[in-house]
Amino acid sequence: MRRSKPGGRRGPIFDYTVAEDVDRELAFHLEMRTRELIEAGWDPGEARAEALRLFGDPKEVGMECREITSSQDRARERAHWLQALWRDLRFAARGLGRSPAFAAVAVLTLALGIGANTAIFSVVNGVLLEPLPYPEPDRLVRVREVAPEGFTLGRVAYLTYTDWRENAESFSHLAAYQGGPTTVLGGDRPLITGVAGVGADFLPLFRVQPVRGRALLPEDFQSRAPGAVVSHRFWRNHLGATGDLTDTRLEVLGFDLAVVGVLPPGFDYPNGTDIWFPLELFDPEPSRTGHNSLVIARLRDDATLTGAQQEMSALAASLSQAYPDHVHAGASVVRLHDLAVAGTRRPLLLLLGAAGLVLLVACVNIASTLLARGETRQRELAIRASIGADRGRLVRQLFTESLLIAALGCVAGLAVAYVLLSGLLRLAPADLPRLETVGLDLWAMGFALAIALATAVLFGLLPAFRTSTTDVSETLRAGGRGSAGGGRGRMWSLLVGTEVALALVLLVGAGLLIKSFWGILTVDPGFDATDVLTVDVTLPATKYEFGDPAVADFHRRLQTRLEALPGVERAGLMSSLPLSGSDPDGGFAIEGRPGDRCFEVPDRGTWCSVGSAGYRVVSAGYFGAMDIPLERGRMFSERDDAGAPMVMLINETMARRFWPTSDPIGQRVQTGGMDRYGVEWTTIIGIVGDVRHDALSAEPDPEYYVHYLQRPDRAQDATVVIESSLETGTLIQPVRAALRQLDPDVPAEFTTMASRLSASVADRRFTMLVLSIFAALALILAAVGIYGVVSYSVAQRTREIGIRMAMGAEPASVLAMTLRRSLGVVLVGIAVGGIGAFALTRVMRNLLFEVSPTDPLTLIVVVLVLTAIAGLASYVPARRGTRVDPLITMRVE
Amino acid sequence: MATQSLALLKGTLDLLILKTVSWGPMHGYGISRWIRERSGEAFRIEEGALYPALRRLERKGWLKAEWGETDTGREAKFYELTPEGQARLEAEAREWGRYVEAMARVLNAPRPAWAM
Repeated sequence: MRRSKPGGRRGPIFDYTVAEDVDRELAFHLEMRTRELIEAGWDPGEARAEALRLFGDPKEVGMECREITSSQDRARERAHWLQALWRDLRFAARGLGRSPAFAAVAVLTLALGIGANTAIFSVVNGVLLEPLPYPEPDRLVRVREVAPEGFTLGRVAYLTYTDWRENAESFSHLAAYQGGPTTVLGGDRPLITGVAGVGADFLPLFRVQPVRGRALLPEDFQSRAPGAVVSHRFWRNHLGATGDLTDTRLEVLGFDLAVVGVLPPGFDYPNGTDIWFPLELFDPEPSRTGHNSLVIARLRDDATLTGAQQEMSALAASLSQAYPDHVHAGASVVRLHDLAVAGTRRPLLLLLGAAGLVLLVACVNIASTLLARGETRQRELAIRASIGADRGRLVRQLFTESLLIAALGCVAGLAVAYVLLSGLLRLAPADLPRLETVGLDLWAMGFALAIALATAVLFGLLPAFRTSTTDVSETLRAGGRGSAGGGRGRMWSLLVGTEVALALVLLVGAGLLIKSFWGILTVDPGFDATDVLTVDVTLPATKYEFGDPAVADFHRRLQTRLEALPGVERAGLMSSLPLSGSDPDGGFAIEGRPGDRCFEVPDRGTWCSVGSAGYRVVSAGYFGAMDIPLERGRMFSERDDAGAPMVMLINETMARRFWPTSDPIGQRVQTGGMDRYGVEWTTIIGIVGDVRHDALSAEPDPEYYVHYLQRPDRAQDATVVIESSLETGTLIQPVRAALRQLDPDVPAEFTTMASRLSASVADRRFTMLVLSIFAALALILAAVGIYGVVSYSVAQRTREIGIRMAMGAEPASVLAMTLRRSLGVVLVGIAVGGIGAFALTRVMRNLLFEVSPTDPLTLIVVVLVLTAIAGLASYVPARRGTRVDPLITMRVE
Repeated sequence: MATQSLALLKGTLDLLILKTVSWGPMHGYGISRWIRERSGEAFRIEEGALYPALRRLERKGWLKAEWGETDTGREAKFYELTPEGQARLEAEAREWGRYVEAMARVLNAPRPAWAM
């Protein structure tokens, strides 16, 4: 009765379910019994009824059978499934083991694709997706003022903040804060660190409780000698982790603060803050015009972002009606997280997309090699199919092979990701937010696994189905050589064309970024950063009172000492260095010219500004050290001191914009709210060269410079620049010594102008480098893919080539034929990729600098490079094909 | 007929199956036909009753079942004796032999002296 060997045939892909198993078995019996009865002479119609009668009630029998088997089969079915999987895996492993080169290339290709994606995903996850480390972080928002022109002002005036706080209903907490790095005395040594003046709601808003001591209390916010809380980090590093906080005092900004509490480890908002104290210390005279504070809030549980936005818009509108000259008419509410990652989102998503394209190229590559492999295995598969292995089973087997490749690729990909990620983290700009949260965590591993599975489906199923659907008898008749033409040839053309198109898109993207970056590096910043050492010097407010002439005196003496040091060519000081992120600016008035924005100034009447310009406090040495030219007029001199008439220098942009037809030199300007000399007339004595202050990619803005001897209060927190004829590093010790001799309580931070310059383009460099690496990867993968397909097609056509050559065809013409075929596909791929690049590079518009997304030069270079590489990848195997002896090739079977 | 001997058959059906399968793997229909023909159609079991019995034997580990192909290329579920099944068959066959022997000895005993 039983003819085939046990274990021969199973269900289509997996074993039958219990119900199916029972139904099929009983149906088989009834059918066989009916046939037997018919053979015995029964009428076919009655035979079926008789078989049923003899059988009993099939429903009842079936139910009994199911009950008996179910309990045992559940476990058994699982075991069977695993057994089958294990068998397929062993089979796949043996298959891969037989062609180690194929396996190695496929796994490596995939590892590169998965590695690139996982590494970028880790960064995206840490920077963009990971929630902020505060309770219910999605309820935290920043509230900002919006000017009528539509641009958002980061900072809010104190009285506006208190109005918001009293009237806004959408927030459970709303707090203003301001601060930054400043000198702190009273720790283990004088140092510069982050401090913040915060509103009463600030710590409750973050739900932060001190781990030691107490929080800031309402009394603190009314006191002129309030308490302060410090970060866990500061307490550990600079307060000796003392258990007893009594008598621990710090001098900050001229205030003597009692340390009353230590916050839990990790909390340092705003980024890098070590000391928090009441905001009111900063704003002794609350105003509606000093836009000094940032505002953060926590949405009430029942409030929505849109609701809060509507409420704040209405509130801002009514406040601007009440104080038309002081308050802007708009306000915007933004999630804290969105704001933190705003500038980073687009480049990172761009890189993630690019990594996705690399992965696609890798998939296409593996798919085409699998297809070629399927071709050579055609005969084996045809035989298996002829002895009864069904199609589902073959698909499953081929697919298991893909899964195995994917699994190995995933493991290797994690290793690649690890290496890539450590490289990325080293490359990443220091200001990339929340970089410390980036790592190869479980999310990243899950992501790697998920894309490995997805790629297995992508590159595995297509060749599996194609290979298994081939007509069995035809393949056997063709002697297993397979036919390279027809649908299969078209499939390959499609795959190669896709690879080329994808690579082109990536190359164009990278090309545009490289060209932009080159443009930025070669742009003239307006100053010479070579051999310039910069020293941040902050005079402690406790020793140098606000506006104290001692500040100017300190710097005058410091410069004398510095210029006497061997190796120092020129030295000067500057309140806000270019590219430092600090850019104080404000309205100014010109004598004899009516302004359009007017304010009431106490005791002084009405004051109207004509425009806005950057405000810088400098010494004459600054321009020398930075090689910023004096275009016209005269430089500051030692005689321009506190007793002399106020003077200023303006930059070319300011001269051009505000005195387009006349000579600004000799004109007089008021600097408004920038310092306490705002209503003094200041005479323009000269015009200096433009400097790109905000960013290398940003056009210079109007700027004016005032002399530190005349504005001592703004020199308190300044940067000393030193141009050196020696290696800048060798100057650090002598400069530190000179500072210490003047005042041992003044901390100093050293860096170089060159590294500031480089840091200012770090984010662009990062995006450019990573995208270039991805483009190079895609190019290499595409080349490998083209090489593989051409090699294979040459090998398949060995006989044809042999015949042609035996009949007298020149090797050159055979070569040309092969090359024509493959380059044709490459050119179509380039055309399609060109269209794709045109569509996709538009999303990078704001990452480009003076380069159009459709820059023709970039496109031409990329097309030439790609064609050359593709040509080489086709030429090498094509040439090999013509080198074979025709006689031998004809004997090959 | 079948109805009278059902109780007896229920106990012996397992033994019949084990014996039938001991010649080699067989599908359910083959088993039922074999028993039917070898017994000279004496055991007229309801044919459906065979299948729950097969599954019980499979669950006890005396039979192993697997889907396979018949000589005509049909898909069918084949049953095969496991080593445990083999041992069981031998034990039950011995038991059955002793039972039959004992029955026969009683039934065929000569008329005793006290009844003469």
